[in-house]
Amino acid sequence: MPDLLATWSGELRAQAALFVRAVRTSFAYKPALVLGMLTAGLGYVVPLLVWRHVYATRASPLAVPASQLFPYLLMAASLNFVSNMSVESRVGQRIRLGLVAIDLLRPVDFQLTQLAQALSDVLLNVAMVLPFVGLSYALWGRAALPHDAAACLGFCASAFLALLIQFAIAFIFVQTAFITFSSYGVFYAKTALQQTFSGISAPLALFPPALRAVAERLPFCQTIHTPVSIYLGAISGHSLVPVLLVQAAWAVGLLLTGRVLLGFSLRYLEIQGG
Amino acid sequence: MGCAESSPSSKNLPIPGPEQKKTNMTSPSVVCEGLAKSYVRKLRQPGLVGAVRGLFRSEQQVVPAVRELAFTIERGERVGLIGENGAGKSTTLKMLTGILMPTSGRLEVLGLDPWRQRQKLAARIGVVFGQRPQLLWDIPVRETFTLLKTMYRVDSKLFEATYAEAVKRLELEPLLGVAVRKLSLGQRMRCDLAASLLHAPEIAFLDEPTIGLDVAVKEQVREFVVEMQRRFGTTLLLTTHDLKDITATCDRLLLLDRGQLLFDGTLADFEKRFATERRILLDLDKAVTDGVAAELASALEPLGGVLVECRGHRVVVSYQRDGAAPALTQCLLSRLPVSDIVLEKADIDSMVANIYRRSTAQQEREAS
Repeated sequence: MPDLLATWSGELRAQAALFVRAVRTSFAYKPALVLGMLTAGLGYVVPLLVWRHVYATRASPLAVPASQLFPYLLMAASLNFVSNMSVESRVGQRIRLGLVAIDLLRPVDFQLTQLAQALSDVLLNVAMVLPFVGLSYALWGRAALPHDAAACLGFCASAFLALLIQFAIAFIFVQTAFITFSSYGVFYAKTALQQTFSGISAPLALFPPALRAVAERLPFCQTIHTPVSIYLGAISGHSLVPVLLVQAAWAVGLLLTGRVLLGFSLRYLEIQGG
Repeated sequence: MGCAESSPSSKNLPIPGPEQKKTNMTSPSVVCEGLAKSYVRKLRQPGLVGAVRGLFRSEQQVVPAVRELAFTIERGERVGLIGENGAGKSTTLKMLTGILMPTSGRLEVLGLDPWRQRQKLAARIGVVFGQRPQLLWDIPVRETFTLLKTMYRVDSKLFEATYAEAVKRLELEPLLGVAVRKLSLGQRMRCDLAASLLHAPEIAFLDEPTIGLDVAVKEQVREFVVEMQRRFGTTLLLTTHDLKDITATCDRLLLLDRGQLLFDGTLADFEKRFATERRILLDLDKAVTDGVAAELASALEPLGGVLVECRGHRVVVSYQRDGAAPALTQCLLSRLPVSDIVLEKADIDSMVANIYRRSTAQQEREAS
């Protein structure tokens, strides 16, 4: 038991050190930070304009009132931007170029190392998104803030679990690069599923019933729809704990699936060119 | 992180010295039996039609990269692994380090199964892939070193010793604060080598550690490798195309050809077996004529000499290592106006080139 504890504390120390270095690397490129902020801005403005037009031109009211929809879209876009961890492009590229050999030769867990790197990207993304959250508060006031203190805490926990799920899904998808040596198709497939079923384009309440039923059975809605619903108070009180437990189950299940798949994928690894 | 600049004696290091290691660890560093690795290669047809057809149907070819390799490396040995491009050197190294899964055969490194126990093994080995830097691209060299200290859980005393040694021997001091992306190839390679040996690994796998480096840096790298090996009793397995790396750092040679082991023995054995040819090089006062060349060739033949070159002021004669030199020299001196004479034995490059030529010729004969 003490040996196991020492091994894990060593692993965590190593991963923490990797995380800090990765954060430093992310923040080293200032133009990328500025460009990222502009992209985030675009991601906010376009859907808001579209939905404003829909609400302005429609005679009968929609299932979700405009006063709830706009803060939802704002938070969904923020969370989506924050959870953009580039796992597919980064890991896929390293597999394609054979640089994954260097990662595999480290005495640390490969999956956890990728997670540490991904979470460092999250930190950078938060820095890019914060000005827009501030701006949205200026536009919508109280409606852009968490519903109450419990919603704030619940959102933090749910957002963290959402990030784990996002990472775990990307990690599973990127495994195909071990066999195909390309992550482009995989990246597009995952992005399409994420865009369709996560609830980033609209709350699930606005989905056609059949599509909604599918979305609720997939893990993607746990990455956007669930945390944002907690933030806005749509999920609260006693229903909060089971929702978080479901999210945690998805996170653990997907992370473990990724681990098992990695063991299988590494059998196919080829490091090309010397 | 305050890294010591002094170089403490190895007596103070909290690790066993080479002598202790010998008594503590008697099992071999590497045991390899019937090791094989094959790749599946997709054959693509040319042109746009070929690309479209490839979407639906593709032919595959199994390419054996390593075949039935068998060798053992004892603790503290310094072994050079050489071979032409595609001979299977890097594939072998990647199997030994646990990155690639062997297709068949048995492999044990430091008592571990490299593929199944990769992470455990990684803590005990050091690896340099000359073509794949392990330093973190965007942060200063010093930070990569301290990060590696944490990752490899290196004892502070040991780290201070190896760090100081690397900084001194490889002249890294001016580079420590520089972001890796701003380093030249030679600078990066020196830092990379230091990074792979900072945790005083039990085995160092160096895959072309001097590739693309100038003569001075190559020399520095070789000296550092030898010093670290001597100091920590590290087992060394090095692949290279520069055979001076081998003569400077290794005392045993594994020669691979098309995935098979052609030779396994000491450098002295290798020389004894393959360096059979000697040469006499002559500089002449006066240029030789064609008639003299023909006459010279027939005079040398009964003495065991072969006239390799006879042009202008230069004559080269080759002979087998069998004591023919005195008679040949006497013959040449009596017939030619010699201004200078040099006796030369074949260097390792030409020996290896000869072996490959013979092997290729044999394969072609077998194929036909």
